Amino acid sequence: MNFAFSVQGLTKRYPHFHLGDLDLRLPEGQIMGLVGVNGAGKTTLLRILTGLALPDRGQVEVLGLPMPGQQVAVKRDLGFASEDMRLYRSRTLRWHMDLIARIYPGWDEAYASELLRRFDLRADQAVGGFSHGQRVKALLLLNLSRRPRLLLLDEPTTGLDPVARAEVLEALAEVLRDEQRSVLFSSHNTHDIEQLADTITFLHQGRIVASEEKERFLDLWRRIVCQGDAAFEQVDWPEVAAARRSGSLVELKVRRFDDGIRERLAAGGLAVQSVHPMSLEDIFVTTVRTGGAA
Amino acid sequence: MNVGAIDIPMVRLLVAKDWKLFEKQLAAYVLAGMVALAFLGNAKPWSFYVGSLLLLIVLVAAACFSISTSLLVERKEQTLGFVMSLPVSPLDFYVAKLAGNLITFGVPFVVLSAGTVAVILLTPLPDGLLVFAVLVFGHVLLAYSVSLGVAMAVESEGWNTFVMIASMVLVNPFLMGIGQIPAITDHLQTDTIVLSAPALAILAAQALLSTGIVVLTGWVHCRKKSFY
Repeated sequence: MNFAFSVQGLTKRYPHFHLGDLDLRLPEGQIMGLVGVNGAGKTTLLRILTGLALPDRGQVEVLGLPMPGQQVAVKRDLGFASEDMRLYRSRTLRWHMDLIARIYPGWDEAYASELLRRFDLRADQAVGGFSHGQRVKALLLLNLSRRPRLLLLDEPTTGLDPVARAEVLEALAEVLRDEQRSVLFSSHNTHDIEQLADTITFLHQGRIVASEEKERFLDLWRRIVCQGDAAFEQVDWPEVAAARRSGSLVELKVRRFDDGIRERLAAGGLAVQSVHPMSLEDIFVTTVRTGGAA
Repeated sequence: MNVGAIDIPMVRLLVAKDWKLFEKQLAAYVLAGMVALAFLGNAKPWSFYVGSLLLLIVLVAAACFSISTSLLVERKEQTLGFVMSLPVSPLDFYVAKLAGNLITFGVPFVVLSAGTVAVILLTPLPDGLLVFAVLVFGHVLLAYSVSLGVAMAVESEGWNTFVMIASMVLVNPFLMGIGQIPAITDHLQTDTIVLSAPALAILAAQALLSTGIVVLTGWVHCRKKSFY
């Protein structure tokens, strides 16, 4: 299997932050959502993958080539847009498009024009006059129109209004129809990730707390509402990530649900009232709060 | 530094990008420099004073503008991440910035220094002034190299501002210093151009230090751990 990127034993240390010993890989043609709170290490990881930051330790391969040694070759097939990346304020979007077109032979002018229309952007407008949403869309246009094999997006939907967000997500969904292209995008908005990603990785305090296929995450996690007076200690099982009592009702969040749990709960004096699927956000919050593996 | 690994077409493109970004302002500096040379060429005491002062101001302003717009503003306005996400290596970026700065600052510098030489030699101003003028231009070039090196290696805006101002303001004590060297000042008011040993030594030191700083900056830059 070919990987869009793989990192092994990746470590990066800053004075007040430590990205620790990460092992992660993304099969080609997949989209991975990187979920984490602010300061979790998402941006640092993306910067290392693009060669903007160098790791202290570990091996990084992007599109089959070692980084940062082969960064020039890698960046020819890599698109990167970050929330804190800016274009030249005094120049128009057209100027930027021409610059990118001169650098990348794969620049698709027809697709760029289509994205201009879809994103409702004016090519002859100076970038300094763009709103945040327009700026994000302009960066995406510059990246998508050169059709990179791997697209790294750092918080692409943060701060966008609902319409702009929908436009950006639609454009990304379209990119994903091409099975040769891979995307890694970070967000603290789990709804966006849930909508697009095949695989989800939770990053917290510089380490990976979970990395699974999206469907598997959603299949395994359940919220169970039970009734009974049994003590919490009786459900202190590894698969129970969180438990909360409200009167005679007990709410359990279970990380590996199976039908046997109902019987075990009944045997412990807790009658199952209902079982609910959990949203990705709920799974993420529970995982982070318990500080353990999902 | 593996010089063979430099992507020349990419470097050329980055230099052209910077030139396009700043060409109007640089043209304005050259124009202001021409005005300064016109004052100098008038060869009256008052116009000589106004011209030499204006020329120094223009040179210092062009140097500071070139460094701050191509490096400091790029970092401050977060366009550095955009540039470094393009298929460039740190070495390509360094060479492009060096070449870009040599052009954006070098063009006004060369035009104005050549203009100064021409004004001194072709007007009633004493030709002996030439050595003094060359030494002052040498100082500006050295101050520029120091500021450029610090701007590439140090991210702190405070330090960059300090170094830029300090290195350029040091032209004052430098003028006072060379004014104390008889081998240089003895011929100031004459039409004889004398490249004395002290003048040559100062020029050589300026050239060596400027080159050394540029090379050291490249070495430091290629060992940086972040480029955003």
